[in-house]
Amino acid sequence: MTTTAPPTLAIPGQLLGPASRYQPGPGTHLHDANLYASLLGHVHVAQPQQSQQQQQQQQRRAPGPAKRLTKITPAPAPTPPAELPTISVSVAAAGGGAGAGAVVVGDGGPVAGERKQKKKREVLPEVGNVVLCRVVRITPRQAVVAILVCGDSVLEAEWQGLIRVQDVRATEKDRVRIYESFRPGDVVRAEVISLGDQANYYLSTTRNELGVVLAVSEAGNTMQPVSWKEFRDPETGAMELRKVAQPQPQ
Amino acid sequence: MADRRRINGPAGATIPPVFDDASTRGPKSIKSRSRPANATRKMYLKTGVTPSASGSAYLEIETSATPGVSGLKLSCSVHGPRSLPRSAPFSPHIVLSTHVKYAPFATKQRRGYLRDPSERDLGIHLEAALRGAIIADRWPKSGVDIIISIVEGDQDRETSQLQGDEVWDMMNALGGCITVAAAALADAGIDCVDTVAGGVAALVQDAGEDSIPTVVVDPIPSEHEKILAACCIAYLPTRDEVTNLWFRGDLPASDIDLYTNLVEKGIQASKNANRVLVGCLAETIQ
Amino acid sequence: MASSQHVLLSPAELAYLHASLSLTPPIRPDGRSPTQFRPLVAETGILPGTNGSARICFADGTEAIVGVKAEVERTAQRPGEDTIFLEEGGVEGGDDADGDGEAREGVDKRKGDAAWVEMTVEIPGLRDDDSGTAFLSAMLSEALLSDGEFAKRLWINRRFHWKLYLDIILISPPLSYPLPLLSLTSHLALLSTRLPRLKSEGDEDPFFDDDWAAAPYLYPRTTPTTTSSTSPTTTTAATRPPITLLVMAVGNNIIFDPSKEELTVADVALAVSVTSTASSTSKPHTDNADLKEPDTEAGRNLRLLSIRTIDPPSRLTPPGVANAANAAYGANNGAATGATQKMLEAQTAETEAVEGVWKAPRGGAKRRVLGALVQKVLERGGVVDEVLDALEAVDLG
Repeated sequence: MTTTAPPTLAIPGQLLGPASRYQPGPGTHLHDANLYASLLGHVHVAQPQQSQQQQQQQQRRAPGPAKRLTKITPAPAPTPPAELPTISVSVAAAGGGAGAGAVVVGDGGPVAGERKQKKKREVLPEVGNVVLCRVVRITPRQAVVAILVCGDSVLEAEWQGLIRVQDVRATEKDRVRIYESFRPGDVVRAEVISLGDQANYYLSTTRNELGVVLAVSEAGNTMQPVSWKEFRDPETGAMELRKVAQPQPQ
Repeated sequence: MADRRRINGPAGATIPPVFDDASTRGPKSIKSRSRPANATRKMYLKTGVTPSASGSAYLEIETSATPGVSGLKLSCSVHGPRSLPRSAPFSPHIVLSTHVKYAPFATKQRRGYLRDPSERDLGIHLEAALRGAIIADRWPKSGVDIIISIVEGDQDRETSQLQGDEVWDMMNALGGCITVAAAALADAGIDCVDTVAGGVAALVQDAGEDSIPTVVVDPIPSEHEKILAACCIAYLPTRDEVTNLWFRGDLPASDIDLYTNLVEKGIQASKNANRVLVGCLAETIQ
Repeated sequence: MASSQHVLLSPAELAYLHASLSLTPPIRPDGRSPTQFRPLVAETGILPGTNGSARICFADGTEAIVGVKAEVERTAQRPGEDTIFLEEGGVEGGDDADGDGEAREGVDKRKGDAAWVEMTVEIPGLRDDDSGTAFLSAMLSEALLSDGEFAKRLWINRRFHWKLYLDIILISPPLSYPLPLLSLTSHLALLSTRLPRLKSEGDEDPFFDDDWAAAPYLYPRTTPTTTSSTSPTTTTAATRPPITLLVMAVGNNIIFDPSKEELTVADVALAVSVTSTASSTSKPHTDNADLKEPDTEAGRNLRLLSIRTIDPPSRLTPPGVANAANAAYGANNGAATGATQKMLEAQTAETEAVEGVWKAPRGGAKRRVLGALVQKVLERGGVVDEVLDALEAVDLG
């Protein structure tokens, strides 16, 4: 096998290289021990960064009460053999299609940026993603939310999610009351835990950094978080109960 | 089935008067095919024509050399992936829905606004062709709509009446639909195993009832005296696989070579279309 | 559409079924051989108010009835009509009155139009305008009309024709893909269809013989010349209506008449329409074929009419998860952080096929497999002959 470099641009069905040299990333697929592109876009090869990844994972685990182990975890699998570079194809990097050319010429920077945003490939919420959502309605058993942002990308379509009462916080689950945790209109940071049923993604706010990030008081003012379960209205001084997300450093 | 919500045109087709001059008196002259038997017509394909859609493409097939014969004009838009309606059951895959609609003025016989059975039929063929090409499990719980409008059907305007060969036109239209939908899907960023393109081949008889039939690619019904059989094929070139095969005609079963030859030519036509498709996509990402 | 109805089989069951169907010879869940059809019960002439009717009941409980009704309809006269006659027979002018019909007796002046046949398919639980129903009816009528000969049978004279209504009703819920059932039932119904005998002549308004016994069959019968038939009174139609067979491939195996579960694991499924005609046809290329190999077989001359790919429901089945990728079997320690979880999902989606783990097929069918499928259907003395023989045995009262 000649060690040819992968192409920089790929068309669906284009050969990227043998599966023995790369790991399949997003936008690629495996067929007959070869990797092929499945999207139209630019090819990226990411070298494995084992140590850095682990560091990130360490950072992500925010300090706080560690979740008690409630299930039997199996023995770790044999570690995979040498990490291969991951090859992926992304649409986002393309500055727009042939049709976009005319648009960009018309109005300089902002339009180009807008177009770039538009051309960004749509993403679906996946299990493990941290999403931003708005509470639509609450019932004693669950809060129905609309997922607006997934990771760093704003979703084009609105996806419906569900935070069940047992997924609101990690401890004292039986004492959780939905109306003391969320109110309609709140913006919540949550993690996707399941693709859920036909209509809803199931979300969870059990981690410290997850919960309500933006809330409006009954008087209509934006409130400030004061504790892990309270927001305060800066003008009236009234306190309201929420499952508050730990403020994150910028 | 009358559509009462809109003001419709006359229900049936109106046929322009045919004046009895010398040219109609003589035996109908058949404009013979000017291309070689294995050459497809020129094609124009462009992506990103509909800004509001996730992906879109436009396909135009060259009008043939004879004046008055219209080409095929297709516009395709892809919407999605987006969430399924509340009533839909859980699907671990992307749910594909295809709509093919002739514009009311696309063919000689006026088409209504409601989709008729032949348009639904085209939609199912298209769905079968595309479902083999997309990687459906990348997009769970979501749906994508592929909407193709046939702005201009591939029909001869010179002959005054329908000759009962709309079905061959349907095959040509399907071939174009597959190619344009593949371009729009790639533009929308939906995972596909390959670029699928459509191709049509036909077994035609050009010189009377007793002549030996020949196989041509990309047939135009008005250029041939009689079409004995035709097939439309959706083909994935890098995988060498066929996702949709539609054959229609009348062939003796004892002569399987005739059929095989027809399919081979259909694949060749599809490869020709695919070359245009790849060129267009390469231009898109540049 | 009907073929992609959900079958409640788990990935493990799908993998098992696929594996057993890929063996040589394949092992089918109901123990049939690859070319064997399910047993069926058939009868014709069940509806007295129709010109022809039939009922077929498959062993799996699916049942269909077909009624054929014919009406006399005035042929639409188009301005360009005389041009056609010119082109066809070379008669001067469009004059209908001077009885040129007799003058050119030998020329087949009958013309047919696809619009003379109206086919409706009704399947319980599906809407009338459902795409699957439209697809089925398009497939069945395409087979009927594609040779252009059938519509000519409906020609009465230049001003009138028969309009044939074929109403196909599936009585039972669609337990399996109903195409073969509907096709066989309409085949029998058309075979038993009779149209009243025409008494008028030429282009005058048609009137018909009242005697139903004298009514000729739409597909004319001939007494077989071969002595092979058991009873001397049986007559067979030389030309038969088309039949559409459902064929699928799993691996390298070709399987006829798949049940619903078998269709769920198909790599590719085809609907192939064939018909048998009298051995002497006026088609020039048949003559060529006949010159090449003299038709030694008694009478049956198969013709391929249409092929359609059926979207196999296997593409919509849920995939299985291999042990190597399953968190419950220790594929990934912890799996608590989003990053690892996401990696895990990506890997499940992109692994090489593991034996015994079901994966919905991607892509299309290999050219070679498609060719083999069609060849298997069309081979002499093959399944089509068997089916046609079996249908011949049905009493066409």
